[in-house]
Amino acid sequence: MNVPLSNYLMLSAFLFAIGLCGALSRKNAIIVLMGIEIMFNAGILNLIAFWHYKLFVAPTAQMFAIFAISIAAAESAVGLALVIAVYRHYKSVDMDEMKSLQG
Amino acid sequence: MEITFWILAAITVVGAILAITLRNLVHCVLSLILFFLGIAGHYLLLGADFLGAVQILIYIGAVAVLILFAIMLTRHVTGTEGPREVLGGKWWTGMGTSIIVAGLLWAVIRRDQIAAMLPAGAAKTSIAEIGRVLVGDWVVPFEAMAVLLTAALIGAVVIALEEVMRRR
Amino acid sequence: MSELVRQQWLIPLFPLAAAAIQSLLKRPARKLSATICIGAMGISCVLTLRALFATFGFGRGGEHYEVERVIWNFTWFSFGNTSLSLGFILDPLTAGMAAMVAFVSFWIFVNATGYMSSDENFTRFFCFLSLFGASMLGLVVSNNLLLLFMCWELVGLCSYLLIGFWYFKPSAAAAMKKAFITTRVGDIGFFLGILLLYWQSGTLSLYTPEGTGALQQAGKLATLTGWWGLSMAGTIAFLLFIGAMGKSAQFPLHVWLPDAMEGPTPVSALIHAATMVAAGVFMVGRMYPLFTAQSHDWVMTFVMWIGCFTAVFSATIAVAQFDIKRVLAYSTCSQLGYMVMGLGAGSLVAGQFHLLTHAFFKALLFLGSGCVIIGTHHEQDMRKMGGLRKYMPITFWCYLIGTLALCGIPPFAGFFSKDEILLATYYRSPWAWGLGTFAAFLTAFYMTRQIFLVFFGPWRGGRPEAHPHSQLAEAHGELDVPHGEAHGGEVHLHAHAPHEIPWNMWLPLVVLSAFALFMGWLGTPWLGGNLFHHYLAPEEAVPQHSDFVLWLSIGVGLFGIVLGWLVYGRKPLQNALDDDPLALTTPVMFTVLNRKWYIDELYEVTIIHFTTAGATFFRLVDKLLVDGCLHAIAWIAWGLSQLFRWGGDELVINGGFDASCESVRLGGKVLAKLQSGRVQDYFRVLSLGFAILLLIYFFA
Repeated sequence: MNVPLSNYLMLSAFLFAIGLCGALSRKNAIIVLMGIEIMFNAGILNLIAFWHYKLFVAPTAQMFAIFAISIAAAESAVGLALVIAVYRHYKSVDMDEMKSLQG
Repeated sequence: MEITFWILAAITVVGAILAITLRNLVHCVLSLILFFLGIAGHYLLLGADFLGAVQILIYIGAVAVLILFAIMLTRHVTGTEGPREVLGGKWWTGMGTSIIVAGLLWAVIRRDQIAAMLPAGAAKTSIAEIGRVLVGDWVVPFEAMAVLLTAALIGAVVIALEEVMRRR
Repeated sequence: MSELVRQQWLIPLFPLAAAAIQSLLKRPARKLSATICIGAMGISCVLTLRALFATFGFGRGGEHYEVERVIWNFTWFSFGNTSLSLGFILDPLTAGMAAMVAFVSFWIFVNATGYMSSDENFTRFFCFLSLFGASMLGLVVSNNLLLLFMCWELVGLCSYLLIGFWYFKPSAAAAMKKAFITTRVGDIGFFLGILLLYWQSGTLSLYTPEGTGALQQAGKLATLTGWWGLSMAGTIAFLLFIGAMGKSAQFPLHVWLPDAMEGPTPVSALIHAATMVAAGVFMVGRMYPLFTAQSHDWVMTFVMWIGCFTAVFSATIAVAQFDIKRVLAYSTCSQLGYMVMGLGAGSLVAGQFHLLTHAFFKALLFLGSGCVIIGTHHEQDMRKMGGLRKYMPITFWCYLIGTLALCGIPPFAGFFSKDEILLATYYRSPWAWGLGTFAAFLTAFYMTRQIFLVFFGPWRGGRPEAHPHSQLAEAHGELDVPHGEAHGGEVHLHAHAPHEIPWNMWLPLVVLSAFALFMGWLGTPWLGGNLFHHYLAPEEAVPQHSDFVLWLSIGVGLFGIVLGWLVYGRKPLQNALDDDPLALTTPVMFTVLNRKWYIDELYEVTIIHFTTAGATFFRLVDKLLVDGCLHAIAWIAWGLSQLFRWGGDELVINGGFDASCESVRLGGKVLAKLQSGRVQDYFRVLSLGFAILLLIYFFA
């Protein structure tokens, strides 16, 4: 591979920024969770990129990545369950309306 | 094989951007799936074949489906596609912040010349090795993961189910 | 003897305590007040007589001996290294004077119980009398200039209070002020003299046992150079004499004494005849070593001429007065001039002797006039009296004795004392002696005039004036000639005949008459040497006896009496409105004398105007400058306060505080927006923080 590491790093940074942007900007709660997933994936991509370029001793990086993915999945499951629960109460998934903690 | 990288990168980025900008939620999920695919491709390109497979299995197979389910469960009775406005209040903070982050990270990456410090060559790991390590050195995290997943499962069920139970 | 001098302070103490007690009494307590007053003075009288008899035993034997003085000084209070001491003295001068003061005061107090019997402020009167008695006795027994000055001022105060006893009368109110202010002018000189003496001699005590007293340093002071070409002793003597001029009514500070007759007659008798006005003369006598310290100082000459001039001046005015008390007042003034002249001529003995005899017969005359006033139902104009010889015989005889004593007819008291003065003056300055003799003539003349106007002729009071003979008055248009029936009320003012006085008024007269008769014998050379001279000042040279002076003074006195009889006795005044015979012969002169040589008017135009102008000017200065400054300061303070209030307090402190509170509130409001309750907002903030961390990492 002739692709320098910095390409991957910049790619993952860029993806992270996109995910962040989505998480911060969209009104829909589910989109926010999706943005978080994007950020997760960008991070793991970063990790694997470094593993590929022999920064880490194998197979630690892979293990890390597997666990990270597992945790991400568990987290998204719980998060979506929360969204459903919240939807039941507020009758919408609009983030702007969920301000009972205001003040 | 640079071109592969750039194609995959394009797919990934487009998928991510579409995921956060489309109006229709389902379309967003679909582009998210596209994104996941792109990431999986990157993994394969980087030689982490097991991880690529795991990515597809878990993210596309489980997470994306989960999101779809959530979308379905949180639709309005009237059947509209979610909130009218796409963007939340003060969305520009988010935009601005992410731009800043991107810019800074780019600057960091450019400056620090990390690639120059790394030795050449690629790494390789087989699945067998992963499996051996998983139940060998990394068995405790593995078991912990299992507990975590169980807890998450139970928790999700409890959270999402409660209302229904009460109503009955 | 030292025991006695230590008890000298008891002499003024009793009247002082009496005054203190009386001041607390209520107005109806008349008998009690009079008893306390007279009783206290009686005790003081006994004490002074005891002291007097003790001094008789001083240093007997030999022709020339120093007068013995017993002194007791004590420290009043001390500050730092210096201390202020007061002291009492017992010597012939003090003892004689104190005995006279106490004795005469006692009898005058007795008389006053009758004089003031119809007055409603009886108790207040006797309280003031006691206070006066205390101050006068304190003045006399004092060995210390400070104590003397304090008592001097106190007697001035009592004089003020007693002259203006009937303060609701405008004339009395004016007179009391005049008296106090005029004597105050003299007191300026007195105080300057005291200060100078203290400065130069270092002590205020007159005599000390160590010989460091102020008077004992007179010799030393005579060698120092003073002001105005005098020695220091002379300067001090001159300044002290100015005080005596004020208190003893010498020209030009005499103007208060006639006006002081506004007070009740016992006051006039006590204060303005016998005692207070004599205080000036006494003080000069006390300070005599300073006066005689240097022979070529012109102070003694000045003193003599002032006395001489006053004697003549006042005698001329007395000739033309109509008020019975005014005549006696000017007579007092004149006799004080005599005393001062005697002192100035170098004879302490003559001056003091005349002081003592004059006290008795002048008090007698004043009390007599008081009796006349009471007897004629408060009439004081001599033109409305007459023929009182028949109605008030006791008063007449006593008054006659007093008059003869005053005229200097032997063997009455006044002759001996006046003769001594004239003798001393004769050797000092013939011109002064000549004027003094002329004044003696005038004295005889006006006293005879008074006797004839008051006691002889028809009773002029209370009868309707049917045929007035007052051409002069008509010519001047002064008199509103009443025609019997038309002015009925005014004419019948004094309808009752005069009556004799009760015993508590004529008894003092009798007692004093005895003294007026016999006291002079103390000063005759025929009773084993001049007793008084030996007693008082044996170191003084006895003047050479001169028959010429002796017979001339007798002759002058008799001539005055004869002339008086010629003018007033042969054809007595018939009506109250008739002109004085003297006025008919010399109308201009009479008017001038009646108007007191227009001195009061002169003072009014010059000094009073000047002072009033000065006062107005300074009042203006005070109002504009001082008050202006005060207002400016107040304005500045107010301005500053406003500045601080609005600029400082309102703007800065309140505003600052409000601004800070406001900013906290706004800050809170702003920050509260962070707590929107929306998770996504928190996430935004979080990522912003993350971006900042990255920034720090990048730039740090």
